[in-house]
Amino acid sequence: MIFGYNVEKIRKDFPVLSKKIIYFDNACMSLKPLSVINKLNEYYNEYTACAGRSSHSFAERVETEVEKARQEVGKLINSKHSSEVIFTRNTTESINLIANSLGLEKGDEVIITDKEHNSNLIPWLKLKKEKGIVVKIAESNKDNTFNLENFERLITDKTKFVSVVHVSNLDGVENPIKEISKITHKNNALLMVDGAQSIPHTEVDVRKLDIDFLCFSGHKMLGPTGTGVLYGKKELLEKLNQFIVGGETVIDSNYNDYKVENIPMKFEAGLQDYAGIIGFGEAVRYLRKIGINNIKKHELKINSLITESLSDLIEEGKINIIGPKEVEKRSGIFSFNIKGMDCHNVAKMLESSKKIMTRSGMHCVHSWFNKKGINGSVRVSAYLYNTEQEAITFAEEVRKIVKIV
Amino acid sequence: MLCLIALPVFAILGIFSIKYRRLAADALECLFKTVTLRKCKSNLDQRIRAGISGTFLKYSPSAARFTYKNYKLISWIVLIVFLWSFYASAVGVYNYTKYGNCNPPEEVGFCVFDPTGKSSGISEADVDIVIPSETILPSIEDDDPIIGPKDAELTIIEFGCFTCPYTKNAEPIVRKVIEHYKGRVNFQFKTFYIPSHNESFSSALAAECAREQEKYLEYHNRLFEMQDSLNRGTYISIAKELNLDVERFKECLDTERYREEVESDSLMGIYAGVVGTPTFFINDRKIVGPKPFKTFKEIIDEELKNNLK
Repeated sequence: MIFGYNVEKIRKDFPVLSKKIIYFDNACMSLKPLSVINKLNEYYNEYTACAGRSSHSFAERVETEVEKARQEVGKLINSKHSSEVIFTRNTTESINLIANSLGLEKGDEVIITDKEHNSNLIPWLKLKKEKGIVVKIAESNKDNTFNLENFERLITDKTKFVSVVHVSNLDGVENPIKEISKITHKNNALLMVDGAQSIPHTEVDVRKLDIDFLCFSGHKMLGPTGTGVLYGKKELLEKLNQFIVGGETVIDSNYNDYKVENIPMKFEAGLQDYAGIIGFGEAVRYLRKIGINNIKKHELKINSLITESLSDLIEEGKINIIGPKEVEKRSGIFSFNIKGMDCHNVAKMLESSKKIMTRSGMHCVHSWFNKKGINGSVRVSAYLYNTEQEAITFAEEVRKIVKIV
Repeated sequence: MLCLIALPVFAILGIFSIKYRRLAADALECLFKTVTLRKCKSNLDQRIRAGISGTFLKYSPSAARFTYKNYKLISWIVLIVFLWSFYASAVGVYNYTKYGNCNPPEEVGFCVFDPTGKSSGISEADVDIVIPSETILPSIEDDDPIIGPKDAELTIIEFGCFTCPYTKNAEPIVRKVIEHYKGRVNFQFKTFYIPSHNESFSSALAAECAREQEKYLEYHNRLFEMQDSLNRGTYISIAKELNLDVERFKECLDTERYREEVESDSLMGIYAGVVGTPTFFINDRKIVGPKPFKTFKEIIDEELKNNLK
């Protein structure tokens, strides 16, 4: 029992759960609490306007609410200044922004891991094709955990950038960011962390971990869809080139030139999704109120229950887990395959039988699956509102499906 | 194989919802790949397989297992049933367009356009009849009243029963037919009694007794009007109402004077292949059940045309 953690009370905040579903696809998209939905409505019902342009009361209110959201996100990751928080559409956009603003040149090395989401692979491969940068892949250990030695061997004086996933959406394995950061900085490179799967579930202190850039999405952490964040150290963001330019990104312009805005506006081109950003701020407030650590413990408990309930089938080889067998290394993710059955069939059966919603396929980590020759997996990802009973029901259904094969 | 079924189903639903349009496209891809002996990329077949098995899993794991394991066989069975239903539906639509009923003139059965079964049923004779190997078409006889000119171009003979609700349903249609083809066709009603109906034989006798006093048609109509309360009292009361000689009528009824005539009419029906009422004969064409006017019109027009040739 996690002190003060009342899952039934939490569930009441999520209107969609009244549909009697078992939602285990949180690594892709989280459900939204009523307070976030209300916050979105509030923007549209009470003060729909632009921020940073007009000076009427609605615009001022939007400006204030967006700033509050920025500060809320800043507090969550312990950024030094709220201006270090740049709002984007999602993690992918944040990574692309950095990849295209670094000014990497032919021969510059970028290190990523072998378990990156396409969002942290394709932008670098594109630069490899277009500019001739060198993309190095840090191989994981056999159990899918991070191999620091492999990583350290790859880093050279040509390495300009390291971009690694914090918690893998494939198997839930958390990479040792602090150690990676030390090695990266010792070699005068910069570190970017894909925090899409870590920020919603684990406490991340960008200063303690000495992260240069951090990217994550709002929609995976109770926020509205199409909201994301790029965190960057102030001094780095100030030096960084712009990626998308236009309205809001400049202070002044004439027919020949323009004067670049300060951060964060420098990177927030055009009208923003104000309702989404404000709703995202509310989502962060909600999560902080419950406590990220409490959520992490709860997810681990759910995953432990699933893993223990199916341990005999795992031992017998009827169920293969993607990633380490030890549940504590997989956070809230249980990625698996049933021997002899396609992962999509398993996911479909789970939904048809008990409305259990999971993700099946390659989870945008095609490179890893293709290398291993696996067609995909069924991924269960828990979050703050999942119950122990749901974990038991899921395990029971999996057991039934195993018998079908 | 279910892709073949899924395609038209999803294509029709796709008219109303984009969700089904995508599924229809998947079904088309799947069907095309299957026909060209390639692996279907959309995996629609597998999704359906998992969806059905998963639904069964809720109620019975063994049913789910059976479905999962025997999916191909089940798919083929469903496909055959589907194709058969498609064919049957097409025939039904053709019949409905041509005759106004899903069933062909000589058959009865459920028709989706006639859910109450008003024009889709018969009262079956339900007796052990030795059906003759060769049917003998019925002919018009002088001992039964004829409506229309004796030398009409075409004769319609109806085998009906006064206790049969379907024969009653056919009455307004018959009247419409007689009116529509006035002067060109004649019509004769022959009783075909249904042994399982209590008053079937007696009502036929009563009608014959009324014929004896030349009030057959009026009596015939009243019998159908009073169908739900037919008994000896009703027969006598109708006779009184129509100013028949009641004593003579009673005597005719009590002595079963026309038993032979009624039996002879029914026997003629049996030889003609009648198994229930109402059954109509238009030349050698048969209409079974109280089919809509359109059915009669279609056949009568064809037969009139044939007679001219």
